[in-house]
Amino acid sequence: MEIDENSLVRCRVCEAVNWDSDIYCHRCESKVYIDNRGSINRAWAFLVTALIFYIPANVYPILVGEQFGNSSSNTIAGGIYLLWEEGEYPIAVVILVASVLVPILKFIMLIYLLINANLNRRAKINPHKVHYLTEIIGPWSMVDVFVVAILTGLVQMTAISIIAGPGATAFVLMVLFTMFAALSIDTRILKGVE
Amino acid sequence: MSSRKDIDLNELILCPKCNALHKKVQLESDGAAVCRDCDTILYRYRKRALEHSLALSLAGMMLLIVANLFPLVKIDLMGMERHVSIVSMISSLINDGFYIVGIVVSFLVLIFPFMIIVVYTILVTLLMTGAKYNLSRELLVLLSKILPWSMLEIYLVSILVALVKLMGLVEIHFGFSFWALMIFVILDIYLSKSIHIGELWELRERSYRGDR
Repeated sequence: MEIDENSLVRCRVCEAVNWDSDIYCHRCESKVYIDNRGSINRAWAFLVTALIFYIPANVYPILVGEQFGNSSSNTIAGGIYLLWEEGEYPIAVVILVASVLVPILKFIMLIYLLINANLNRRAKINPHKVHYLTEIIGPWSMVDVFVVAILTGLVQMTAISIIAGPGATAFVLMVLFTMFAALSIDTRILKGVE
Repeated sequence: MSSRKDIDLNELILCPKCNALHKKVQLESDGAAVCRDCDTILYRYRKRALEHSLALSLAGMMLLIVANLFPLVKIDLMGMERHVSIVSMISSLINDGFYIVGIVVSFLVLIFPFMIIVVYTILVTLLMTGAKYNLSRELLVLLSKILPWSMLEIYLVSILVALVKLMGLVEIHFGFSFWALMIFVILDIYLSKSIHIGELWELRERSYRGDR
């Protein structure tokens, strides 16, 4: 095909192919022209906010349990360690991947994309693939928050009760802001034009 | 390079994963068009796509209602019983003072999934009848904006993880709603993950042009 891929953009709303110079998508009429500098800065702002929330999310307990009057609280890392000690290896691995590896991987990938966008160079690893991956794996970091929510709703008895910890709020906000950051990046930025 | 006016953008597709450019081809029978670089599925051949989507989205709506009517899981500890549903889970988060977690979770596992299935059903009905051209565009735009924010499949996995944590401590019984939720998630994966949003836009164009 004699058309240059770089002169085309995919509409992020309806996936239609548009010319780079178009302002509105010819199919869904959403804006396809986006101010690059503005959306790079916005993505950085969301990412830095997420990084800030990542600290309390790991320092503060995500789960507080009370059993016969004794209260015990667990951070994310503490919970994984406890599961491992108890021999629940598969669950420990699921939580490790969802709550530790996925957020870290997502931070690294977004920083990689944004640094390349800032330096105006084309990333060595296909940036579209990296971005696609961040959007696929991102939501899975919510597993731990959902687990805490389910346990909070379920275990409310006189002998044993479980409530969420302040770390859960920070973790939810961290996931939310990394998703906002990923959504602020569009194909135009990934191509590193201008 | 040929002039831009000679090129029909509707004939082109960029791979959602690696951004490679392709010219669309007509698929004959049960097949899928895959990206030449990364093998990602670009679109599929779908016979009676709208009829199937309508049937599945109606079924999905009923399953989602059932999934919210009854308890998902029941636990039993020395004669004391507790059960949980999506709504009771959110209300106990709010009661404990975790407003942010409660509100975010309620959007991800309750409000957005319901919105998606309702919008989907209305949309497919419009496309089948060929009515309300502008409304169907707005619904499709809305749909593509809320799709990334529905997390019921992740929630389903989380239920299982939570139960493994409780195993040994308490007796666990799955509620009727758990199975409804599981079937809903399977339908949802077909409707919103297997059918790309671009395919819905093409169905829309074809349906208003009159050739389905």
